[in-house]
Amino acid sequence: MNLARVGAVITKETRELLRDPITVWLCFLMPLVMLFLFGYAVTLDVENIRLGVLDQDRTPASRALAMRFTASHYFERVRDFPQAHAITESLQRGELTLVLVIPHGTQRRLARGETAPVQLLVDGSYAATSLLAAGYAEAIVRGFASAPAAAVEPAVRIWYNPSLRSVNYIVPGLFGVILMAFPPMLTALAIVREKESGTIQQIYASPLTPREFMLGKLLPYAGVAFGEMLMVVGLGYAWFRVPFAGNPVELFAVAGLYVLITVGIGLLVSALAKTQVAAMLIALTIALMPSFLFSGFLFPVFSMPLMMQMYARAFPTSYFIDFARGVVLKGVGVEVLWFNVVWLAAYTAAVFLLAAWLLKKRVA
Amino acid sequence: MDSSGMDGRWADGPLVELREIGRRHGERAVLGGVSLTLAPGRILAVVGPDGAGKTTLMQILAGILPPSEGEGRVLGRDLRREPEAVAARVGYMSQGFTLYDRLSVAENLEFAAGIRNVPAALREARARRLLAMAGLEHVTGRRAGALSGGMRKKLSLIGNLIHEPPLLLLDEPGLGVDPLSRRELWRMLAEFRARDTAIIVATSYMDEAERADAVLLLHEGQPVALDSPAALAASCAGRVYEWPTAAGTAASEPLPLRSRKQLADRVRAVLPEGGHAALPAGAVAVAPDLEDVFVDRTPPLPAPAAPWPAAAAAHPGGEAIVVSELSLRFGEFVAVDRASLRIAAGEVVAFLGPNGAGKTTLIRSLCGLHKPSAGTAVVAGADVAAGRRRVQGRIGYMSQHFSLYPDLTAGENLTFFASAFGLDRAAARAAIAWACAVTGLEPDGQWVRSLSGATRQRLALACSLLHRPEVLFLDEPTSGVDPASRYRFWTVIRQLAAAGMAIVVTTHYLAEAEFCHRICLMHNGRLFAQGALAELRARYGLAPDASVEDVFIAGIAREDSAAAAGEAAA
Repeated sequence: MNLARVGAVITKETRELLRDPITVWLCFLMPLVMLFLFGYAVTLDVENIRLGVLDQDRTPASRALAMRFTASHYFERVRDFPQAHAITESLQRGELTLVLVIPHGTQRRLARGETAPVQLLVDGSYAATSLLAAGYAEAIVRGFASAPAAAVEPAVRIWYNPSLRSVNYIVPGLFGVILMAFPPMLTALAIVREKESGTIQQIYASPLTPREFMLGKLLPYAGVAFGEMLMVVGLGYAWFRVPFAGNPVELFAVAGLYVLITVGIGLLVSALAKTQVAAMLIALTIALMPSFLFSGFLFPVFSMPLMMQMYARAFPTSYFIDFARGVVLKGVGVEVLWFNVVWLAAYTAAVFLLAAWLLKKRVA
Repeated sequence: MDSSGMDGRWADGPLVELREIGRRHGERAVLGGVSLTLAPGRILAVVGPDGAGKTTLMQILAGILPPSEGEGRVLGRDLRREPEAVAARVGYMSQGFTLYDRLSVAENLEFAAGIRNVPAALREARARRLLAMAGLEHVTGRRAGALSGGMRKKLSLIGNLIHEPPLLLLDEPGLGVDPLSRRELWRMLAEFRARDTAIIVATSYMDEAERADAVLLLHEGQPVALDSPAALAASCAGRVYEWPTAAGTAASEPLPLRSRKQLADRVRAVLPEGGHAALPAGAVAVAPDLEDVFVDRTPPLPAPAAPWPAAAAAHPGGEAIVVSELSLRFGEFVAVDRASLRIAAGEVVAFLGPNGAGKTTLIRSLCGLHKPSAGTAVVAGADVAAGRRRVQGRIGYMSQHFSLYPDLTAGENLTFFASAFGLDRAAARAAIAWACAVTGLEPDGQWVRSLSGATRQRLALACSLLHRPEVLFLDEPTSGVDPASRYRFWTVIRQLAAAGMAIVVTTHYLAEAEFCHRICLMHNGRLFAQGALAELRARYGLAPDASVEDVFIAGIAREDSAAAAGEAAA
């Protein structure tokens, strides 16, 4: 390993990178776009559920029940129905997510201590939202019914994300996804570009060893990846007010390991692909897609079917996301999540051994 | 480190020593049976058409492709056991461009030095010397991507010389480079040879090889000859004849010739050994060149296609192209400056000029693809500005590299182009049969990508002839094609012209212009000279046997000094 030669590759690669506005844009603006998209738009919280009310009782009790819905910030009362027949059409058009029907005689029944049936019509097209909406609504109705009695008062304390904000859960997951989305592609493109343009021939016919070339190519992109990580963590903390309960040093140390995996995957892709288009597609399929869908970033791994869980656990992202959430939300570290760290380390070793085996300094 | 080339390990023996080197690609032998030695300070040219195995041989010599047969040592290291050591020591310039476009000239050179362990102390002095030698010392800050083709080639070359390799391997250094820059490149090589660098150059330009000390002729992966250019030429001495075209073409047909080259005003032929049949009147023996040697040593091709029905849309004697004061401007930039030109039906005309001279722009405007900024052009009876569609229906355009679909068979390509020209099924079948007969093509089920360069060339020509155009444009039609196939191609072109088609050719391959009736020289957007080769020779005061390249360079020099004088006066 000759450090002067590695240095020459690093210098060249950095200059090329800095003079390519599109790549720089891809490096830093795309993660930013993702952060803000996921931070704002894709919250899994259900707020302002559009509610319609058909109050056939028209009594103080029925009005009080309807008030309970609007008092919670989950529901927004957008429509009152004078008659039942308009409800179906309204749900069909997707105007409303939930309709509360309070039949005649509800107050009377309540006063008599009878069961008072109240109807909740839920648009189930968006299963996740509907489920949450139905759950909230049921809780409100139940609370209303049992309010006078107040026999058992459950004291619920939610730990680690007390306000139950999705953004607190999304942003630490995004660390893992962003690092899997861009560094593998950038690294793969950087190497395959040289294959495509023919400049790699000059590299072949030089004293550079495959390992020196690999290292010189990887370090600038690992640097970029680390910069992306710092940016996302910083903005998550400063802009989205995501609490940072644990030790940042531990997070960044493990992130370093994870970054090595991501650029290593890029290296593997470059060994397989001959053209930039192929490299991009392979990187999308083996890095980006599983990191979105099977990492626990949006959908928890433990709620998947067993086969899918095994598949998801074959990718490194879920281990890093679990670790990141542990550090950021729970304030724990390696002492608790050592298994994830060991897994990531094993993964790093495997990726690089495979890459070293595949990367030969040869034309054919 | 071990960068010094002076450890004496090869000081006594040859730098390169190959014995029966070969390379298989699956079942196919790409290269076989190459044996050669090379001493310091010598230039070896590896010559052959596309697909002859030149690049494979160069990659084996550079230690980046393991040979599948034979033994070889380069710079004292075994090609099988220590290929990395070979790769680390040689200078290897691969085909195409090996520069990083976003880096400046100086940065590209710095990278080349950095990966080759050139000590920092030596780096600057060497870089300065090499840049001066390449004439690049004034553009060190410019991005490599913004350089001209010739400058890029020179920069690639000095990048591979920064570690002062005892052996320099150059794969097609002249490809895509205009003749002026090519001359510069060879001047640099001569300087390095003088300092005992051994050089191996792969090229498909036979004329380039004449400057080498030794020539290896490759044909379909097999070595055909290896000797000095003089010795090779001597082997054909007394067997190469030329005679004027007028002198009984018919009589020459039954002659048992090794090759027959139909030039603009004469025929050049190589006779088989011992065969001294009755030559046509006016035949004179001429000095053989490497092309003659090459065709003499490779198997002959079947004779050019038999006579065929004349092209339909022909009216001999008429004017096919009339251009007057045609200018094309893109913003401030004047790509073509008041060009005037007349081409008659049945005439073959070559456009020559360095990169950026405006050849392609002029041709594109004649095809109706650019609207002229000023002046007029009438092509095949229609004005290019007003009757674009009509022009495009009456012309054919052949560019070897881009016009065919590599994943279709020859027949599918022909069918596609026939339908693109709007021929109905019956007309298409007739047109394809006719075009195949003309070009001597036999479409089979092979994909175009697996066809040889020469077959692809004939297919491209057939595709551009389907609608029987009155004017045919050929854009670098024969680069990388072997001489015998090229002769046959030009015979077909001449026959098409004889049937009334006007033909316009652009080429970097200057010798090609000898096949044409007339030459138009272009430089900086100006069409500054036109005429038959003999006329241009006389105009620039050159010897009657001066090459097209001499004429070209003399013309450009005259034009440059005229421009300088004009500026001084203004």
